[in-house]
Amino acid sequence: MTQSVETEAPVTVTGTPVAGRDPRLRWALLAVGLVAALALPWFVYPPVAMDIVAMALFAIALDILLGFTGLLSFGHAAFWGSSAYVTGLVATHYGVPFPVAVVGGAVFAMILAVPLGYLSIRRSGIYFAMVTLAFAQMVYFVAYQWSDLTGGENGLQGVPRSFFGIDLVETESFYFYYAALPILLLGMWAAWRIVHSPFGRVLVSIRDNTQRARALGYEVEKYKVMAFVLSAGLTGLAGGVFAINHGFVALTELHWSTSGEVVLMTVLGGIGTLWGGILGAFLAVMLADYLASSGFSGIDLVTGTVFVLVVLLFRRGIWGTVRHQWLARRLRRSSSRRSPADADPAKR
Amino acid sequence: MTSRRMRTGASAMTAVLLLGACGGGGPGGSGGDFSGDKLVLAVLNDQSGVYKDASGPNSVKAVKMAVADFQKKYGDQAVVDKIDVTSTDHQNKPDIANTKASELYERQGADVILDVPTSSAALAVANQAKNHKKLFLDVSAATTALTGAQCNKYTFQWAYNTYMLANGTGTTVTENGGKNWTIIYPDYEFGQNMTKSFSDAITRAGGTVQSTIPTPFPNENFATFLTKAGSTNPDVIGTMQAGGDLINLVKQFNESGLKEKGVELAVGLMLITDIHSLGVDQFAGTMFTDAWYWNMDAEARAWADRFKAETGTRPTFEHAGNYSAALQYLEAVQAAGTDDADAVVGKLEGKKVNDAFLRNGEIRAKDHSVVHDAYLARVKKPAEVKEEWDYEEIVTTIPAAKAFPPAEASGCSM
Repeated sequence: MTQSVETEAPVTVTGTPVAGRDPRLRWALLAVGLVAALALPWFVYPPVAMDIVAMALFAIALDILLGFTGLLSFGHAAFWGSSAYVTGLVATHYGVPFPVAVVGGAVFAMILAVPLGYLSIRRSGIYFAMVTLAFAQMVYFVAYQWSDLTGGENGLQGVPRSFFGIDLVETESFYFYYAALPILLLGMWAAWRIVHSPFGRVLVSIRDNTQRARALGYEVEKYKVMAFVLSAGLTGLAGGVFAINHGFVALTELHWSTSGEVVLMTVLGGIGTLWGGILGAFLAVMLADYLASSGFSGIDLVTGTVFVLVVLLFRRGIWGTVRHQWLARRLRRSSSRRSPADADPAKR
Repeated sequence: MTSRRMRTGASAMTAVLLLGACGGGGPGGSGGDFSGDKLVLAVLNDQSGVYKDASGPNSVKAVKMAVADFQKKYGDQAVVDKIDVTSTDHQNKPDIANTKASELYERQGADVILDVPTSSAALAVANQAKNHKKLFLDVSAATTALTGAQCNKYTFQWAYNTYMLANGTGTTVTENGGKNWTIIYPDYEFGQNMTKSFSDAITRAGGTVQSTIPTPFPNENFATFLTKAGSTNPDVIGTMQAGGDLINLVKQFNESGLKEKGVELAVGLMLITDIHSLGVDQFAGTMFTDAWYWNMDAEARAWADRFKAETGTRPTFEHAGNYSAALQYLEAVQAAGTDDADAVVGKLEGKKVNDAFLRNGEIRAKDHSVVHDAYLARVKKPAEVKEEWDYEEIVTTIPAAKAFPPAEASGCSM
């Protein structure tokens, strides 16, 4: 069964850093990214900007599983949403500064991910997706039913945004953005570290050839659970910030459509590219935000069309396509006789 | 494209910084009686999803009708010349509703936000209204929390709530002879609350609830639950299902043969658009509480005719509610002579109103619930339908005082 699933694993060019071996380009890209992150709330309404960065981390966290471990989780809303609720509850009941509440939410998401991951990774491919979806639905219904705690369909309203008594951050979403940004950037850095560590290499090898990874002596199941838990933790970090940003938590955060949305963002940006999630999140959030006030009443039609176009025209996603073109050009220039496809295994 | 967005973004930011520099950033600095020398009414609702037909784009047109009526009535006497109506699609996502509400108040100079279906979205917008000290007149959300535990000074609930729906149908049907009830409800907060309100109303009216049957939500197949309900030999089966689930349940109720045995079906929450989409024959005989019906009297009918000329369709009570809320808001602004939210709230509170939508209406000061007459309706048989959208027969008018919970019981403190 594993064999048949292996063929379904996403075809991606992974393992090579964006800029190849050119450290200058890598630093330049990093600088551009940081400047963009810092400048964002000047050009986009700050709460929307915060949503973009939170969603970006969400997509990146999902990509650790989807792009680097070859596991399509269709239940990440469970971690996003449960962290949002726990963050909201901690902030409401204990009045702690919001970063503490967010970390609490992320820790809860990781704890939740241990049993869920342990059971889910027994299957892979479409079966894994269905099992994760089923677990996420269970979490959703628990939150729906437990209305004393979660507020049911009314949602958990009035989540405070306390930050060491600094009034500007607590009331102005523009300053809140800069207070919360480091948490999310830290999450992104962690994702980058995970993927580029020896641990990340093992994940990629599991994705590409589970049997061989096992034969080499790696405990495949343990690695998968660890990837699952780490991904859930980063997702939780993003979900917690999202909850504080909005000041309330609604059931939509746990709904399966949220799981679908993040998969869409990751695919838009490019599976297995990590940073593609940022582009995907930016595109999806900005599109929803722009169309909301456009007076055009077919929002799903537009987002659907964009998705279809990207999948048809950029099979590697936006970031993936750009990177592929870039690498292909470099390869041509170095007048190597190897085709890009052949070059990959050597670099991995 | 990008440069234009950047420029507007940068200028908006400069404006915010300037405001901040001016101190406080609150609405205190009064350059005139009207912020931005105009009045901005923002309709925030679902323009593309499941609630599109019930409210959606046509509610924007209803609000524009109210603005036109206001300008016609006052002409040169109007305290403000320029009145803008904007609309935003919250796509039924509470987080988008929340961000957009904040943006509307902060950046687009909205003086009032109208409509907002979906409870969680409405409660989030109510919080934004409270933080920004600007008005929010909710029409389409049914949660009693808006005028209860989570009420605030700037939020009003204009048309209906879950208590009104349950109390109206439960009491009136029981008084009309449907003594033995079995209730089928979706097992989540809305369903549980509705069932509780229904049971209370039925018991108070002298009836009995023999059994309450929870179902999963959402659910496709209600056959088992209907059989179970039928085995208790009730006079009435009450259902708290809504939307797609309601349509499934009604279809299966019709096929179950219970109707032929004389069992009546009463529905907790139903809109005229539900009847329209499924067909009047499927719902024939079903009873439910309506906040307003377009053909209930001459005044409503006259307004509905104007609405039809504008939109090509008949209004739901949510359309009429939006018209009424916008009109009464404008009247309050006229009376206050300013768009200052506190002054306008002062003019709205305690006001007794009659208009195309409200009958014996009162904007209650205690909990900001707008109470008015409600109606127990029965869906007509196909043979009785004389024209398009002619679906309802009003059985009884439930007076305002009985239709809504007493203000003392709301649990609201502002």
